[in-house]
Amino acid sequence: MKKSHFWGVIVTSIAVSLGLTGWTSTAVHADDTKEIIFWNPFTGPDGTSMQSLVNQYNKTNPKYRVKNVSLTESDMYSKIPTIVNSKKGIPDLQIVHVERIKDYVNNGLLDSYNPYLKKFSGINKDNYVPEAWVNGAYQGKRYGVPLDIHTSFMYYNKKLVQKYAPHALDDNIVTFDEIKAAGKKSQKDDIAGMGLTWWKPLFLSLYGQMGGELTKNGKDPDLNNKTSRRVVNFYKDMHDKKITTQDGDDPMQLFLTGKQIFLPEGIWMNNQIKESDIDYGVTNAPQLSSDSKKIVNWSSSHQFVLLKQPKRDQARTEGTLAFVNWVRTHSIKWAESGQNPASLAITKDPKYLKMQQSFLLTNKVEQDSMTIFNYRYNGYLADYLDRYAYDAVFNKTSVSQYLKKMQNTVQDEVDAQMTN
Amino acid sequence: MAEVSLKSHEQVSKHKRTRSHPFVYLLPHLAIFTIFFFIPLIFGIYIAFTKWDLVRTPVFVGLDNFKNILFSNSIFHDQLTSGLWHTILFVLISVPFCVLVPLSLAVMLNTKPKFAKFFQGLFYLPSLFSISAVVIVWSLIFNPNYGPLNTLFNWNQVWTGTQPWAWITIVVLTVWWTIGGNMIIYQAALNGIPQDYYEAADIDGASSWKKFVHITLPSIRGQLLFTIVTTTIAQFNIYGQPLMLTNGGPNGSTTVLMMNVQQNAFGSGQSLAGISSAMSVILGICIMIVSMVQLFLLRNKD
Repeated sequence: MKKSHFWGVIVTSIAVSLGLTGWTSTAVHADDTKEIIFWNPFTGPDGTSMQSLVNQYNKTNPKYRVKNVSLTESDMYSKIPTIVNSKKGIPDLQIVHVERIKDYVNNGLLDSYNPYLKKFSGINKDNYVPEAWVNGAYQGKRYGVPLDIHTSFMYYNKKLVQKYAPHALDDNIVTFDEIKAAGKKSQKDDIAGMGLTWWKPLFLSLYGQMGGELTKNGKDPDLNNKTSRRVVNFYKDMHDKKITTQDGDDPMQLFLTGKQIFLPEGIWMNNQIKESDIDYGVTNAPQLSSDSKKIVNWSSSHQFVLLKQPKRDQARTEGTLAFVNWVRTHSIKWAESGQNPASLAITKDPKYLKMQQSFLLTNKVEQDSMTIFNYRYNGYLADYLDRYAYDAVFNKTSVSQYLKKMQNTVQDEVDAQMTN
Repeated sequence: MAEVSLKSHEQVSKHKRTRSHPFVYLLPHLAIFTIFFFIPLIFGIYIAFTKWDLVRTPVFVGLDNFKNILFSNSIFHDQLTSGLWHTILFVLISVPFCVLVPLSLAVMLNTKPKFAKFFQGLFYLPSLFSISAVVIVWSLIFNPNYGPLNTLFNWNQVWTGTQPWAWITIVVLTVWWTIGGNMIIYQAALNGIPQDYYEAADIDGASSWKKFVHITLPSIRGQLLFTIVTTTIAQFNIYGQPLMLTNGGPNGSTTVLMMNVQQNAFGSGQSLAGISSAMSVILGICIMIVSMVQLFLLRNKD
């Protein structure tokens, strides 16, 4: 081997090895710059809206500029524990779903906002939707500042409602009885009454309406009970009577092609539906009762949190909060992506008031209807509901087996945790 | 004398350099292997003997995780047994197809038909796609409302929501996706068989089938063994197909072990990495045993 060739191989080997171990200097640590690193799970239209919100903020020449890092949700949640554990490259600001906060605090993943809030008096309970604000606190300390409160409500096809349920929307509350009546009429024309979409909000919303509780002592799940049986049987009955879509149906496609009257779905799907030719409206999620005080609309909230830093820098943290506080009064961009910002300042914006989803924020009754199911071990429950979804409703297993398995799964997972 | 000594010194240093060269060439692979395979492997095995949430320091718990998943009545025992059974079922159904289909195609292409190169490219193409893209395409094909399969034949089948169709869809997709890799290996092997063998067989009046069984198969025995073992290992690690196509359903009947491993470690709740690792170790042991049995059964007896 020629000498130059020999050294070439050595140099290449070292370069490849070091490059792949991330030794190279590309991994600039957030602490070294006057830039706030902001991780969030927003992709697609949400990602575009968040990026333009950040751009808008950076144009104000803040002391600390914001760098928007958009990640896919599952990827982001996998990275959070490992990056906090590694104590390196931890983002300054992070968005998480509110249901994660309790678990994250117990796992030592979050820093509290409390020492920094005095300088930012605008970040207080009076300026946010109560349900989103309340759930951002845990054990008397504030860990989350809400960006939005996103709700699973219901879309309806105006033409089909006119034909099959002309009075259902008189009070802006569509009851299950009204859906059943409409579905019975429409099935003759091969039109589905209601789409069985995302099981988790559908299950929890009805469970809440029936007065169900996810836990009695705050720790152990209480999921195999009379109320949960009623909920699953309720949907099963609607399915068996062909009021709802059937196994294998694509409720979104059926709705977009005018073959379904009601579509319970998240407000975040509004942009996709908007692009279709369908003439549609939005209303509350399906309800058991037409009493407005009893409305339950399943909701969640994206919250700004501070991941635990080994040594928190006062100035950087204040720079971070300056951005969070700025978003509070500039969230129209976020509303344009179809979301409902949690900041009440938005309710004074005429542009926002014209948006379909605004009805949930503009009156107290609707605000109170938004319910966050904030069980501390929500993650385990959510995983079960997402994986086994409609198995009992579609008659692939019995209701009792389904609920027994749900209870055992969540209980065993809670018990197997490193800390309780 | 001095000349002799100089020569021998030169020889020794040349010899030394020659001996060190292979290590230099191995260095990039060795570094990558150590960092991305060997260290995680050892760490993963260690984690199986701990309780760990990915955040705190792992706590050593001895064989507790193994006792829990192997002998208790917990949900983790169910996850292991049903997940492992579903994985083995998938391996049993899919591996023969993942070997036979590419082999048949390679044999056909070896007869040098018209447009052979075009078809070779066409068959290889799916291997280049990511599993997400492949699943999206097949989900559309199997869509009960709008999919071409139901529409064309006027069927009303919920392909991914009922058994045995859920498994059939997963196997069809997997075979389609993985044809390319094995096919290329078989083609290379077939090209290496001397034509004389076939000519001699022709003179003896051997049929095509006899030629295939007595010449082709024995000649590519090594490649067959290699692909059977690697395909089995690959199929044991099945994850993306059931996750995205059936979400493990209906009623968990296509939930494979890797899905449980992933969910326990990286699900929405606090990580149960210890249990997850213990499941992975058991899966790893199963793969090792099966591979060894295959190597033993298919070894070259000569």
